[in-house]
Amino acid sequence: MRKRMIEELLGAAAGEAVTVSPDLVLITNGFSHGVTEFASKVAEPEKVLVMYDHNVPSGSPEDAKVFGEILRFAKRYGTRFLQAKGTALQYLYDEEIKPGQIVVTGSRHSSVFGAKGALGIGISNTELARVLENGKYHVIVPETLGIAVTGKIPEGVGIVDAALGFLEQHPALSGKAVEFIGGSLTEHEKAVLCHMACDTGAYTAFWAEDGKTEEMLDLSKAVSMVRKPCTEAADQMKAEFAALSVLDGEMIHAGQIGGCNGGTIVDMRKAAACMEGKTLKLGFRLTVCPATSKDYLKALEEGLITRFIDYGAQISAAGDHSVVPQGAGAMGPKETLITTGLYTFAGCMGCSDAKVYTASVETIIRASFADC
Amino acid sequence: MEKEFKGKIWKFGDDIDTDTIIPGKRGTIPTIEEMKKYAFELLKPEFGSTVQPGDILVAGTNFGCGSSREQAATVLSHNGVRCIIAKSFARIFFRNAFNSGILLIQCDGVQEACEGGDIITVEVGKCVRVNGKEFPIGSVPENLLAIVEHGGLIEDTKMRLATGVQKSKIRELDQVQRRKSGYTMVEKLLKKNAGVEHVVPGDIVITRPDMFMIHDIYSPYLYDTLKQMGAETIDDPDKVTIVFDHCMPTAVAKNDSAHYDAGIALSKKYGIKKLHIGEGICHSIMHEEGYAKPGQIATATDSHTTTYGGAGNFCSGIGTAEMAAALITGELWFKVPEAIKIVLNGHLPDGVLSKDVILKILGDIRADGGQYKSLEFTGPAAKEMSMMARFTVANMALEAGAKCGLFETDEKTAEYYGMPLEEIDWVKIDEDAKYEKVLTYDVSELEPQLSCPQGVDNVHSIDEVKGTKIDEVYIGSCTNGSLEDMRIAAEIMKGKKIPDDLRVIVVPATNKVFKDAIAAGYIKTFIEAGCVISHPCCGLCCGMPYGLMYDDERILSTANRNFIGRQGTKKTLSYLSSPAVAAATALTGYVTDPRDL
Repeated sequence: MRKRMIEELLGAAAGEAVTVSPDLVLITNGFSHGVTEFASKVAEPEKVLVMYDHNVPSGSPEDAKVFGEILRFAKRYGTRFLQAKGTALQYLYDEEIKPGQIVVTGSRHSSVFGAKGALGIGISNTELARVLENGKYHVIVPETLGIAVTGKIPEGVGIVDAALGFLEQHPALSGKAVEFIGGSLTEHEKAVLCHMACDTGAYTAFWAEDGKTEEMLDLSKAVSMVRKPCTEAADQMKAEFAALSVLDGEMIHAGQIGGCNGGTIVDMRKAAACMEGKTLKLGFRLTVCPATSKDYLKALEEGLITRFIDYGAQISAAGDHSVVPQGAGAMGPKETLITTGLYTFAGCMGCSDAKVYTASVETIIRASFADC
Repeated sequence: MEKEFKGKIWKFGDDIDTDTIIPGKRGTIPTIEEMKKYAFELLKPEFGSTVQPGDILVAGTNFGCGSSREQAATVLSHNGVRCIIAKSFARIFFRNAFNSGILLIQCDGVQEACEGGDIITVEVGKCVRVNGKEFPIGSVPENLLAIVEHGGLIEDTKMRLATGVQKSKIRELDQVQRRKSGYTMVEKLLKKNAGVEHVVPGDIVITRPDMFMIHDIYSPYLYDTLKQMGAETIDDPDKVTIVFDHCMPTAVAKNDSAHYDAGIALSKKYGIKKLHIGEGICHSIMHEEGYAKPGQIATATDSHTTTYGGAGNFCSGIGTAEMAAALITGELWFKVPEAIKIVLNGHLPDGVLSKDVILKILGDIRADGGQYKSLEFTGPAAKEMSMMARFTVANMALEAGAKCGLFETDEKTAEYYGMPLEEIDWVKIDEDAKYEKVLTYDVSELEPQLSCPQGVDNVHSIDEVKGTKIDEVYIGSCTNGSLEDMRIAAEIMKGKKIPDDLRVIVVPATNKVFKDAIAAGYIKTFIEAGCVISHPCCGLCCGMPYGLMYDDERILSTANRNFIGRQGTKKTLSYLSSPAVAAATALTGYVTDPRDL
């Protein structure tokens, strides 16, 4: 039997301390931009990518200030700088990530790279600064939890629902590497599972054809779910899960497809198919945020953007819109939003008393129907 | 109201601004009763303590200029001032004063015949008499006198509602009457709607606007005012359009949802079916949907309402209380403005657009050069302009303080609206019309123009600004967000890349423009070049969070205002230009002349 992915990529057995040279270090304005203040040098600028990808275009003068800061950092140290490409993680996933690579970022959602057999790690600014300064990353190789994936997702239920179900079953995966193994998953489903896998504390995630399994994830048992609001960003990983019925009778003011999760071409195709023949409910604001510029272009080509416009949706700029204190899609006092975004903490999408739930594309589009 | 009354004079000079009437720092005092003591505190500190009900102000030109602060009128009315006589009044003050119950009289001459403390006699609609001399004055319609008599618009509307709204018997002029020669375009449009055979500047006419537009910025206040007036129904819901564009997509968390909810509530309560939620900018929708038609009158709760003048529609912005009253009664008064004829000779060279024309004019006549005037455009270059190009010019006429900016109707207008030309071709300039002045431009010689920081009328030719480093380019707004503007920008950017460190934001004006721009491949071009696309809305043009900038950063936009702080912090530097200059600049990161590419 093969080694665990994490052991293979880090070149050591679980429990051993190792030092590796990451292939790529990512800094964005959404996470880790503060690192530009901590890092006093950049050892290998050619391995560093700085990206402006969150809440684009800038929702406040302070956002524009951050643009200036990270741009100056990139220029001073001669690193790459990109903007207007969409969300950094999805952009890299589509354009650059290769199996076996090690990518260090400031986001736990970097685990999405595991769907391609690469290692994505989210770490703190302090640690990230050290990685920038000396090009090395130190870690004790984590234990792995192997999950055998079986079954097929039922009609009307989405892969986000399955991932939420998995997280609900594993509320404390602290420090573990998750391996989703096998199953008849599409590329998109693998990516979503890996993307969301660290939201209860896992270290990273992978998908692999085969391997040692400890548990099972039966997709045919997936049901529509939500992740509930939580009080603070620091508590996000402890936010509760619930069946969709928890929202029965609750007025939902807005829905958002996209953000850090859910804005790929596959998601947009799904959204467009779901809304076929339906009418947008008066009083429901639907926002579609293409994940990357490439997804946006593809959606243009396939006529999806035009269909969303005709349906009455608002199309946001390509990029990460999962934390929007001010900007397109921000929610008002006591309003409720359901989103494919992975943050539900108070204030993440506007007012601190607005409630934000994570849900699947399927659930969000259904909630937008006039006859729902 | 009494036909004749007397009062003691308080005398003032020229250009008494709203800050002189009530200083800005007093504007936040919670009650008018407390605030009114500070009226004229810097100029005549004794005013607040000694003014008596019935006293009359006599002033020079441009009384009430400056901000649109409604309190400038209300503190005077709460101090008992019921009449102001001046050589001229600032436009917004004029409306605000009548609506708060003050009779305004335009009269030139009496100022030299009186002093403060003299007693003046007013014979309404006829003359004023002081110190043995008599000066003629224009007439004031009964409805307006009723507003003054009832103590202002809100009270007047309440009373009209209580007694059942009596519609004035207005009959529009027929085709023969409206073709009578000798009038400016604004005179023709107003007299046609008001059913008056003859008007001169300064006359007040009661119109029945053909379309009222409300946008989401004022929806909550409008809803409240209608409730305060006790309106259960409005005159004609089919003549009303509600557009969600400033606060949609909702972006300012604590405010925008209330505007969204109020717009829907207005629509539901009053049966307003023309509801456009997040479909683009109100002014663009108004002409795109044919709501504001040539030869007709439209009004809206927004200053850039002048846009539809590009199609020979008389359109001007009004306040919330006025809109509420007008929705109930279906009526709205206007003072017939003086007009300035602007003759555009020659042909626009390549790379020079209608935006450059209006910027040039604004630079020449300045931000107050068109105060309460109708700017009327004619000449070969005006005729050559497309409808979109005309809308751009009319839109920005407002930035010169104009009441409206009008273009003559022609076959392009008729085609855009799908109307027979003979129905609208009376909207043209008569050779024998009386214009206050005529400005003539040869646009063949025109260079691209830019409004520079920080004022719309700080206009410079591109040679003086070329090479300035720019941090962000914004292409959009009701001024330059049309499909034509998208095409101009896309043709320049096609196959090219914008610099990595430059932010470029493109916002189509409406959903239709957006979809057409998708179909034409322009949006693809923009994204491939490295632009960010936002959903059709007012966006950064009105300072919403769609690319707000930081201190010392420079933004170049195709919008219509570069007031301090509008696109970022008070230290953000803001430039305005045509879409061609914006697109050329987007490729280099420095102010670039599109003709140099």
